[in-house]
Amino acid sequence: MADALSEASDLSGGEESQDEDVLTPPELIARLEEAWLNEKFSPELLENKSELVECVMEQLTHMEENLQRVKKGDLKASIHRMEIDRIRFVLSSFLRSRLQKIEKFFPHVLEKEKSRADGDPSFLSPEEFAFAKEYLANTEVYLKAVALRHMPPNLQSVDMLKAVPEPCLDSFVFLRVKERQENILVEPETDDQRDYVVDLEEGSQHLMRYRTIAPLVSSGAVQLI
Amino acid sequence: MDPSEVEFLAEKEMVKIIPNFSLDKIYLIGGDLGPFNPGLTVEVPVWLALNLKQRQKCRIVPPEWMDADKLEEIREQERREDTFTPIPSLHYMELTKLLLNHAADNIPRADEIRTLVKDIWDTRIAKLRLSADSFINQQEAHARLDNLTLMEINTTRTFLLDSLNCMYKLRSNLQPGSGSGKAHDY
Repeated sequence: MADALSEASDLSGGEESQDEDVLTPPELIARLEEAWLNEKFSPELLENKSELVECVMEQLTHMEENLQRVKKGDLKASIHRMEIDRIRFVLSSFLRSRLQKIEKFFPHVLEKEKSRADGDPSFLSPEEFAFAKEYLANTEVYLKAVALRHMPPNLQSVDMLKAVPEPCLDSFVFLRVKERQENILVEPETDDQRDYVVDLEEGSQHLMRYRTIAPLVSSGAVQLI
Repeated sequence: MDPSEVEFLAEKEMVKIIPNFSLDKIYLIGGDLGPFNPGLTVEVPVWLALNLKQRQKCRIVPPEWMDADKLEEIREQERREDTFTPIPSLHYMELTKLLLNHAADNIPRADEIRTLVKDIWDTRIAKLRLSADSFINQQEAHARLDNLTLMEINTTRTFLLDSLNCMYKLRSNLQPGSGSGKAHDY
């Protein structure tokens, strides 16, 4: 059984083509945790991490298969199970917070998906896209059934894009800087203040508006905390 | 974020244990651990250390900073200075709580440590409230928060961010046609 378990460490977890590099399993888990926190704290839906999710799933399934061959009550196996549970927790929490945002902002999420240029990567995974479409359809049917059909004819339609609030990109977020950034423009809060620029030094932590640093979140230069 | 999730993150920190069993190297997805030999110190994540401790399979060696004398110094410095002093561990609060609750018999002067860490925490949270107050009063758009730990940020997150968003909404509604109908959560 020692062989069965050590095999897992040699497994490089497939490729992460986003960055064109091969991640070791520990790096993979670190990426997942970063994505989890970013998704948790950003006001809008971030781009999907399907490949990352798939790689982690692959690792988990592989490890679980190995564990099936191990007899119950084995110390080593119980440690592996605990680790699997921890990773699964992060993974589900990550996917769940994406679904919550989709439910909350579905018309805007779908609109963004529609207006995306052909070559650009999609913000939604295929499963999430199907979920969003179905959610929209169901909401419309439900609204019609319970309310709209009882309304006067001129009030029987509702524009979902206007009816559902947009994500507020002006929210403040806490962040930690991973790669030094210069000249980040900070817009003033009131009219009698002037805008100014700040440098974000590596390792420093800040509180500022999401809109200002949104591109840095997707490039991975800052981590939301 | 739920405080238990911050604690979950803290459980990834490494801690030294002295096992009373032997076991070959384990190849976890998140990295290799071991080998374990009775009486020889080995580094493991806190989640594993606590589990082994609960099964009476190891003794936990407290982290270097978890020492009454060192913490007393930190407390004095924290009280002397107006800014947040660098703290020896980014998860000092969670780790103290976890280790003292589950392995107090391995930590010398555990009660003193509990009080000292609580004092340090209280002093820092008082500073945090003061700075949040002046941040809002002066309507700042940016603040630098070095040395603040995740748990500290988390205690003030919901309240501070929601207040800031509310104030932003109230202000932007003064200028016609902007910022109306935006969601404020997340």
